[in-house]
Amino acid sequence: MILFKGKLYENSDQDQILSEMEPYINHTLTEKSLSTETVIAAIDALGKEIASGKHDVLLTSLPVDNPAQYKLFAATMLSREILELKLQTELGNTTPSKIHSTIHSRVMPLGVLFHIAAGNMDGLPAFSIAEGLLTGNINILKLPQADNGLSLAIISRLIALEPLLMDYIMVFDTPSTDICAMQRIAELADGISVWCGENAIKAVRSLAPTGAKLIEWGHKLGFCYIAEAKNLHNITTELYALAEHIATTKQLLCSSCQTIYLNTLDETDLHKFCTIFLPLLEAATAKHCSKVIGERAYLTLMRHTEYLEQLIGNPQNTANEYRGTGCRLTVCKDSALELSPMMCHVLVKRLPQEQIISVLRSKKGLLQTAGLICSPENRNAFEELFARSGVTRITLAGDMSTYFPGEAHDGEYALRRYVRTVDIELCSPYKTL
Amino acid sequence: MQKYRHRLFSIKNPYDTQSDSIFVRAVKENFYYHYTHCHEYRTIAQHLGVDTDSFASIDDIAHLPCLPTLLFKRHRIKSTPALIKATSSGTSGNFSEIGFDIGDLLCALKMSCKIMHRRHLISLIPCHYIVMGYKPHHSNHTAVTKTAFGATLFTPAISRRYILKYKNGTYSPDFNGILLALKKLSKSIFPVRFMGFPSYTFFLMKMMDEQGIHIQLKKGSKIMLGGGWKQFYAEQTDKESFYHLAKKVFDINEQNIVEFFGAVEHPILYCDCPNHHFHVPVYSRIIIRDVDTLQPVSKETIGLVNLITPMINATPILSVMTDDLGILHDSSQCGCGIQTPYLEIIGRVAPTEIKTCAAGATDALKEVTQ
Repeated sequence: MILFKGKLYENSDQDQILSEMEPYINHTLTEKSLSTETVIAAIDALGKEIASGKHDVLLTSLPVDNPAQYKLFAATMLSREILELKLQTELGNTTPSKIHSTIHSRVMPLGVLFHIAAGNMDGLPAFSIAEGLLTGNINILKLPQADNGLSLAIISRLIALEPLLMDYIMVFDTPSTDICAMQRIAELADGISVWCGENAIKAVRSLAPTGAKLIEWGHKLGFCYIAEAKNLHNITTELYALAEHIATTKQLLCSSCQTIYLNTLDETDLHKFCTIFLPLLEAATAKHCSKVIGERAYLTLMRHTEYLEQLIGNPQNTANEYRGTGCRLTVCKDSALELSPMMCHVLVKRLPQEQIISVLRSKKGLLQTAGLICSPENRNAFEELFARSGVTRITLAGDMSTYFPGEAHDGEYALRRYVRTVDIELCSPYKTL
Repeated sequence: MQKYRHRLFSIKNPYDTQSDSIFVRAVKENFYYHYTHCHEYRTIAQHLGVDTDSFASIDDIAHLPCLPTLLFKRHRIKSTPALIKATSSGTSGNFSEIGFDIGDLLCALKMSCKIMHRRHLISLIPCHYIVMGYKPHHSNHTAVTKTAFGATLFTPAISRRYILKYKNGTYSPDFNGILLALKKLSKSIFPVRFMGFPSYTFFLMKMMDEQGIHIQLKKGSKIMLGGGWKQFYAEQTDKESFYHLAKKVFDINEQNIVEFFGAVEHPILYCDCPNHHFHVPVYSRIIIRDVDTLQPVSKETIGLVNLITPMINATPILSVMTDDLGILHDSSQCGCGIQTPYLEIIGRVAPTEIKTCAAGATDALKEVTQ
């Protein structure tokens, strides 16, 4: 399905539409402009509709465990208050400013943004479009294969609420394998925003025309750090919150905890930790058991396979495994940050304070959230260390995947990446616009 | 010689409903064979407290050690040396390797003849074959390649054309080559049979329809589908659209479109009935298991698919659990006349369903650590 000029077309019309796009975009850039207020009003109206329950049928059909929470999150993210805060935080004052006696600068949209969206979060492609619209760009979205129709439904409704947006949104569900079409779209773009893994990013780099700005949002890793490894009984509340975080995100998010580090050189501290933490994780896992049948089946199948592997003498060392119902902790010898097997299977490792920088730096570019469990008196020192290491978020252990309004994404403000600055030489005395 | 297996595969009607007793005996015989020939199988059975006395009735086959296909992907488990080996396609990186001895192969041949005959797929009229799958190559051991080739043996083959050709160490699809061949074959006096992946067949028909190329193949032409949608799962079309397109592009009616279902770890030929349902043949039994407890569930309930057959000696695949989710329906819901229940595959277990942004980092990590 293709969305073009506010109407839906079959994929068989793709060639015809692609050939019409350049003149259409040029016409829009020449004749029209999009005010921030128009965009905010439309998105806010959509958010209010979601909050009022108008789109409940669509949201409850999603394969998510808690549609009500998802609805609340979507409605909040699309509210005027959050959008204005986002604009203010990320772009600041965008009115033209005099920077020299003969020059003033204007913040302008990049022009045309090509969004190659990921399917790892329902509705994320639509939110990426919203960010493009907030900065005044024309947006071409390639839907992810895993999209379940939600993005197109949201975007169509947005256009229905504000028809002025139709010239600024085009949606394709072209498969990534259609290189020819992808290249034709990429050639129209001033910026390509790509949300996917390293391999896909490399493929997009090869598609992008020279000079197009590549805006990459790659996959990242999160971890938890326990600064006082000998005082585990004093941090039960934090450990409980960490268990809840792991059980609710199932370690599927970039911000999720994959590895739990303890500030120690002594491996027995890791085993003591597992003994204390396993019951907490087991309780949280039971509380947040998935309702999605495929996930449950997957977990059961994996557990059954692992059980049989144990029986036939799987070479893996099981002495370092702490198994609970629906969860597992594995004590590791090394300190490297790595992806866990996920689905409530956490790696537990040693990482003495003095090795933090060297260990984490080896994974620079992949670092995202550090959930820090630490006494108040030492917290500043550890925050400083993690900030220097390349981590982009430092939170409480239970808040590793909590969204904070106004926060950056992977260390950057998206809106800043979607604009450019135009310097204009004055030929007469400067006047405020 | 395993006499009950021989008797089971000699049953005339592949959908006989009176085969439970012989099936249980063949299971018991096959269980004993693997128990005495495969160390891993015996270890698992002993831990589960299962022995040859455990199987008195058809309900008892639920107690068989149920080995996930994933186990065969991770470990090479075998009972006796194999005459030939077949592998799964390994779309997710790992693959199973299943061995067959001469007795296993004879059973497979008997089964295929009976099931293909029942669906009127055996004929003396020569055919041109368009294989929408891999061209056999000495480096390719996949079961899907072997079975696609095998399916071209049920009529005299005048020619075989393959869409996936091996060149410079890799297979790549040649849609234009197939299109040119089809244009020529449309003038032949002999029918054409397609055999292979539904995805490639669908893409070919879609491409031809978009280019306005519609050809009339000779009466008796058929489309045979097998091997699943593989990496094109997201583009899986509904069957009605597929049949409509086949009629439009090749003038092939729905009753001449046949689909097969199977897995290398359960090499029983499941062939759809005229209503396109996969009825369970006498050589196989299916238990749908609860996704949390693995306990058997009743018909019409979704769960993990456990496939059971006493056909193979070389590899202990007597009872395997696939990573499919399915439902076993009562035969009365079909109405084609076959009285055995039929399997509906609903989809795969996650991770295709699991949406993760953390997992993508593994690719990057692999590159970092390489």
